[in-house]
Amino acid sequence: MKNMRKTFGFVAALVIYCVFFYYVMTKDIGRAWNFEPFGAYSFFIFRGWLTTIYISFIALLLALFIGLILYLMEQTNFSILHYLAVIHKNIIFGTPLLVIAIVAYYYIGNAFEIRSKILVGTITLGLYIGAYVSDIYKGAIESIHINQWQTAKMFGFTRFKTYRYIVFPQVIISILPPLAGQFALTIKGSALLSFMGTSEYYNRVNNVIANTYLNREGFLIMTLGYLLITIPLIKLVRYLEVRLNYKN
Amino acid sequence: MKLKIDNLVKKYDGKIILNAMSMDIEDVQVLALIGASGSGKSTLLRLIAGLETFESGDIAINDDWMSREDIRDYRKKVGFVFQDHNLFSHLSIFENISLILEKVHGQKREVFTSEILSLLTYFGLDEHKDKLPHQISGGQSQRASIARALSIKPEIILLDEPTSSLDPVLTCEVLYAIKKLVDEKKDVILVTHEIGFVKHVADYVIFMDEGRVIEQGRDILSNPKTEALQAFLGKVLSFA
Ligand SMILES: Nc1ncnc2c1ncn2[C@@H]1O[C@H](COP(=O)(O)OP(=O)(O)O)[C@@H](O)[C@H]1O
Ligand SMILES: [Mg+2]
Repeated sequence: MKNMRKTFGFVAALVIYCVFFYYVMTKDIGRAWNFEPFGAYSFFIFRGWLTTIYISFIALLLALFIGLILYLMEQTNFSILHYLAVIHKNIIFGTPLLVIAIVAYYYIGNAFEIRSKILVGTITLGLYIGAYVSDIYKGAIESIHINQWQTAKMFGFTRFKTYRYIVFPQVIISILPPLAGQFALTIKGSALLSFMGTSEYYNRVNNVIANTYLNREGFLIMTLGYLLITIPLIKLVRYLEVRLNYKN
Repeated sequence: MKLKIDNLVKKYDGKIILNAMSMDIEDVQVLALIGASGSGKSTLLRLIAGLETFESGDIAINDDWMSREDIRDYRKKVGFVFQDHNLFSHLSIFENISLILEKVHGQKREVFTSEILSLLTYFGLDEHKDKLPHQISGGQSQRASIARALSIKPEIILLDEPTSSLDPVLTCEVLYAIKKLVDEKKDVILVTHEIGFVKHVADYVIFMDEGRVIEQGRDILSNPKTEALQAFLGKVLSFA
């Protein structure tokens, strides 16, 4: 009974949104909806969609690595490394991704003569997300109680063994939910790489719009394409948060 | 146990925590450390265990003087149980013990499995062996920590307020486990506010205040000489 009511509520809310957007777009469009021309481009668009997932995934892997390096740099007593990490994070946290992407592509990419758009885009995204990921590591490592570190020391674990058998396994588990969330942000962030001409989802749908002049339909497809990736990810975050919460 | 401490000085951020502390304990099985919060009991215990550096002084357990070079071997003589958060939270009770025996002591699974099981049975934890720390009670976790400390066959077991975060029923449960250690003739250093239990099990009691030993002896609880200890006992026993 309770479930029924919930389902009804969900469907009703969804219908309200659909009606709203249908009204807005139909009003603006001044003609009938026309999805037909998109059929011819469906493979082209699908490739872009896969590229978006691919870029985001690689960028996230890169960010996992960069984030760890940043975390370690920040923790070290070697102050040059420490401040390199701190300044990097402050720039990233304080600047819109769009600005960073422009600088990275037009200036840094050119200066080092990196011609591959996907490469520059992925590295930029990785460096950007990496700053956030380093804080995820930090939170996960700091959430391990001091007594567990001392216990490990007490029982004769070396520094390496402490990280290998006690810290790392706990960190892996506790970073999974925020990481899945970060992946959703990466997916959305990847749209900003489109201006570089990277052939990802946003850019490809935009190309089709330019050819067909079917703006409204294009943006609808675009939105749905992103939601198709991000909604399952957000669901996954929720699931992992409940499943892996072994601390409380 | 034999415990010798010579002029031990420990500072945190320039503030003196242990003030030239000395003691010479011999032929004692259960040593109790009592004193108000902040008097330096935990700090002393961590230093005895070789967990932290100190400014000056010397510490010896059973005539083995602690030195920086073989600190890791020195620590293996000692088992330690904290007030809470002892167990590795991603591992089952069984694995909490087996990890140490396997990865640090290099023992074979065939050898330690039955040992761990009998240890857990001894502390009434056999049915919980596959549970994670968050799935058992605070009392059970403390008992598991005691079992784990015992598993490495240390020369001495240090317990730092092992019941302070437990309710009275669970406290009792853990005190029974400590009593078992004592009955097994294990050498124990116990920091606790359970004065009744101290009277029951301790051979020797040290009363600390502000990083100094104020009074020590075998029957200082029944016959306190200093005003400080009388006042302390007056406070902790006021409703006993
Ligand atoms: N890691 C630390 N850093 C700074 N000060 C500390 C630290 N640990 C303990 N202290 C200080 O040392 C004093 C003694 O603390 P502690 O040994 O925990 O006392 P007790 O266990 O008797 O309550 C306290 O004033 C405490 O604030
Ligand atoms: Mg203490």
